[in-house]
Amino acid sequence: MKRLLMILGVLAAIITSRAAETDSVAPLCPVLTVYTAEVGASKITDTYLSPLKYDGLYAALHFERMQAMKFNPDRWVMQLKFDAEVDRVLSPSRNSEMWYGGVDASWGMMHRWQVAKGLTLAAGGSTTLDLGCRYSMRNGNNPASARAAWTVNATGYAAWNFNIGSLPVTLCYQPTLPVVGAFFSPEYGQLYYEIYLGEWNGLAHAAHWGNYFEMENVITADLRFSATSLRIGYRNNILSTHINNITTRMATHGIVFGLTHEWISLSSHKKHHPQSRIISALY
Amino acid sequence: MRNIFILLLVLTFASCNDVEEWADNPSGNFDALWTILDEHYCFFEEKGVDWDTVYEKYSKRIGSKMSDEALFTVCSDMIDELKDGHTNLSAPFATSYYRQWWSDYPQNYDERVIQQYYFNYNYRSLNTVDYGILPQNIGYMHYDSFSTGLGEGNIDYILAHFATCNALIIDVRDNGGGSLSNVEPLVRRFITERTLVGYISHKTGPGHDEFSAPHEIYYEPAEEGRMMWGKPVVVIANRSTFSAANDFVATMKHLPQVTVVGATTGGGSGMPFSSELPCGWGVRFSAVPMLDAQGVLTEMGVEPTEGCAVDMSPADAINGRDTILDFAIEYLTKS
Repeated sequence: MKRLLMILGVLAAIITSRAAETDSVAPLCPVLTVYTAEVGASKITDTYLSPLKYDGLYAALHFERMQAMKFNPDRWVMQLKFDAEVDRVLSPSRNSEMWYGGVDASWGMMHRWQVAKGLTLAAGGSTTLDLGCRYSMRNGNNPASARAAWTVNATGYAAWNFNIGSLPVTLCYQPTLPVVGAFFSPEYGQLYYEIYLGEWNGLAHAAHWGNYFEMENVITADLRFSATSLRIGYRNNILSTHINNITTRMATHGIVFGLTHEWISLSSHKKHHPQSRIISALY
Repeated sequence: MRNIFILLLVLTFASCNDVEEWADNPSGNFDALWTILDEHYCFFEEKGVDWDTVYEKYSKRIGSKMSDEALFTVCSDMIDELKDGHTNLSAPFATSYYRQWWSDYPQNYDERVIQQYYFNYNYRSLNTVDYGILPQNIGYMHYDSFSTGLGEGNIDYILAHFATCNALIIDVRDNGGGSLSNVEPLVRRFITERTLVGYISHKTGPGHDEFSAPHEIYYEPAEEGRMMWGKPVVVIANRSTFSAANDFVATMKHLPQVTVVGATTGGGSGMPFSSELPCGWGVRFSAVPMLDAQGVLTEMGVEPTEGCAVDMSPADAINGRDTILDFAIEYLTKS
């Protein structure tokens, strides 16, 4: 135990000293904010509501905040994300409609490495809270199927900064893969009325890849005209759950478009050295 | 890196669970209907239905070139084997109904007889309720459907109207049900403490015997300040008293001041789920069994209180008398 504490102490000292080495003049860490919208194709199957596979369209809004972390801004970045999504899908015979509405919030930290000029790789973890509801317009006593999940994810990104002519461009790919967590599911034939009556047994489940698999892939290109950039890209999300003999699948493929903006918060109480390095979270 | 990629690929495919698919043709739609019911219907055992034998019997009638209407007929005949008023198939041209649960029994109700000969058309109507005071100083209300509920204030007005009456008759003949949430506000006026009114369970898997343990359902009395009723009550039912109305009768029957008069109700104690076939037809079926306060399944109906089974005499009806209502009035007058 003593040895372990010693090792941890030495590691902490190294990290602190390295941070101190780099930060003889306190660097400035601009905040990268992202506002994007998405539209695309959606496929939903939820055997609690219907055995059929529905497909249609979805739209989503996304807000993101990314910043290099103060304790070691060259190496660590944090990312905070919020999403809101609405899907409208139809049955194969096109006479039945299902809606999905959901929100999620995610916070993560990633360690990054500059592996070549302009190329950064990052890996880390995040945690996400997902809430949503699928609603079938044709069903009577079983019209809705709620989605609630909390997951701990593996995530990372590869970012490549290059120029097209004089225009700086950042190409980024970020996958996110939930590894463990917990999620909600009613029992096979359970009415939500029973949950209202207090029948709560068997509603919460530990999530693992055997019963809860989700993967998000986001590819974006930021055209950096100034502090504000135009972001275009592609996002794909796959969710597949199987619990209590209920299978749920959701898959979206959409185009992403929006703006990113880098900004620094300056305060009259804090003096910043004119030669402070600016350490961007992504660029 | 390659190994990690292979591992992710394997996990992805292992996690994408198969969902059974059926072709949109007569055979595929028939199989889909049979499978949906096989995996979700809740009364196979109670009704003694061998669903595999039913498949053998009806699948022979499926042809690849049969018309939609012919397919609908075969499918309707198949689900009629369940003898369940909550199980229907809905196509754009028709909805199937198993009608024998009420058509094989006397109707035991003629609304016009009561409106004309007992009230001379002088009664109040509120939503789906007609109510008035009988000459014997007994309050009478006919609750036509629980699809539309009475608000708490509505119930207050009705019970206040009956405040000077010696007893109350609640007639739920021909009430085909509706929402259980419309039953509870009425029942709450007849209880003075938290009362066990029944049990509910659900399927936990596709097997015919996979059910959860029954979960108790309790009703609380109406909140303070609401009109309550503690005097004798007769609930009148007939075979067309079904679903939520069946549940109302089952609940009221176990209250000490309540007597059930008339005929055995039509049942319908399985709360229905909805599903659909590849061709777009909808199917509704009993999926969640409900039991009464003694743990008895009421899918086959709720019997009247012992000694209170009465059928309506056609001769009485011609003479403007409702045999069952007369029995209820006499029962309450004597008691």
